[in-house]
Amino acid sequence: MPVKVAQEWFAICGGCEVTVLDVGEPLLDLLPELEFVHMPVIMDHKLFGQTGENTQADIPEADVGILTGGVRNEENKHLAELMRSRVNTLIAMGSCACYGGIPALANQLMTEEIYERVYRGNSTTDPGATPKGPIPALLDRVYALDEVVKVDIKLPGCPTTPDMFTAAVLHLLKGTPFALSTKSVCDECPTIREKKAVSTLKRPLESVAGVGDDLKTVRCFMEQGFLCQGPATRGGCGGMEGGVPRCVRAYMPCRGCYGPLSDTANPMVDMMGALATIGLDPKQIPDRAAQFNRFAGSNGRLRVLPKR
Amino acid sequence: MDTFEPLILVYTCYWCSYTAADLAGTSRIQYPPNVRIIRVQCSGMVHPNLVIDALTNGADGVLMCGCHPGDCHYLEGNLRAKSRADAIDLMLADFALEPERFRLEWVAASEGPRFAQVMTNMVEQVRKVGPSPYK
Repeated sequence: MPVKVAQEWFAICGGCEVTVLDVGEPLLDLLPELEFVHMPVIMDHKLFGQTGENTQADIPEADVGILTGGVRNEENKHLAELMRSRVNTLIAMGSCACYGGIPALANQLMTEEIYERVYRGNSTTDPGATPKGPIPALLDRVYALDEVVKVDIKLPGCPTTPDMFTAAVLHLLKGTPFALSTKSVCDECPTIREKKAVSTLKRPLESVAGVGDDLKTVRCFMEQGFLCQGPATRGGCGGMEGGVPRCVRAYMPCRGCYGPLSDTANPMVDMMGALATIGLDPKQIPDRAAQFNRFAGSNGRLRVLPKR
Repeated sequence: MDTFEPLILVYTCYWCSYTAADLAGTSRIQYPPNVRIIRVQCSGMVHPNLVIDALTNGADGVLMCGCHPGDCHYLEGNLRAKSRADAIDLMLADFALEPERFRLEWVAASEGPRFAQVMTNMVEQVRKVGPSPYK
């Protein structure tokens, strides 16, 4: 009997759904064993019944629930709780669901400030009143899924790799436990580290030295002066067997999309410590909180600071 | 506020500052009992994580003590402590903590009285700021 899968998306761009399609040929082997009962991105299954005949939103019962995106508004919160009550295993897919992701950068602002910026403080928009209407109200900040409901499996990444999604599904089908890598991106990075001090910071639009060369002969990007978030970021983006990290493969420094190494870690503290240790003046680093918590702004890592 | 007794975590290096604490003790110099001393091999091994974790988990202040610049047993461990302390100073704002809650001080092995003085100053400084917002 196929495993029933329900999926719903919250504050997300839709990239993680594309990951499911990006699985490629292994998906063909998986499909007979999966039955999608609710998945807005690929099928027409409405929450209030196909003709809107119901008064309560409902998600069909399923074995596995996949949720993508952070919890941004009342509707997201309600659906997350609904999904939790309908499924046995809940997967948080993508960095938005696991750590808040890019939308959680807004956690540095009060909701009123966001409205002000979007509807009135934007030079390309005609100023107007904040719309009111039958749309779900925003929560006070962006929550990671595990702040709202219990999550069984986390698949971080922006987007998560098809490899990791397949591995998680296969583990579920077999009933074996699935665990994320505990290594950092640096552990999987093949570039050369010489442990020499860095004094000046380069901007990411400057090109890394050695583009196109074999990565084993290229100097560590951090030691070249780029802000690379490898030391404070969970590995695994290069594939489940520990391949070369995705951004490094493209000669770009790590941006930290796989989130912190543990759920309690704060990448900003880790990175500031690491950079200070190699001799970089910490004042040089622009916008450190958002820079290093770019994908991990929930769980209190990014927040509104009191005015001094 | 009169009853507030701050809890200060003090990292002292094995070679200078802890010996200074020892000297303060054997010389019977009095200083406030609000400090909890943790001996580390070198002030350069105190990662910002340790300080931020302490401050966000109940400590009202953290003090880092090392050898004077140039006197480090490991040559430049205290210089590393200095650059880490600069990073910590910046990050306190990101955690909505007052700058008075963290300090880096150089205390040599022979400076027992100064050790007691530094402890007293730090305790008074944090007492003025009040309890940690994370308590």
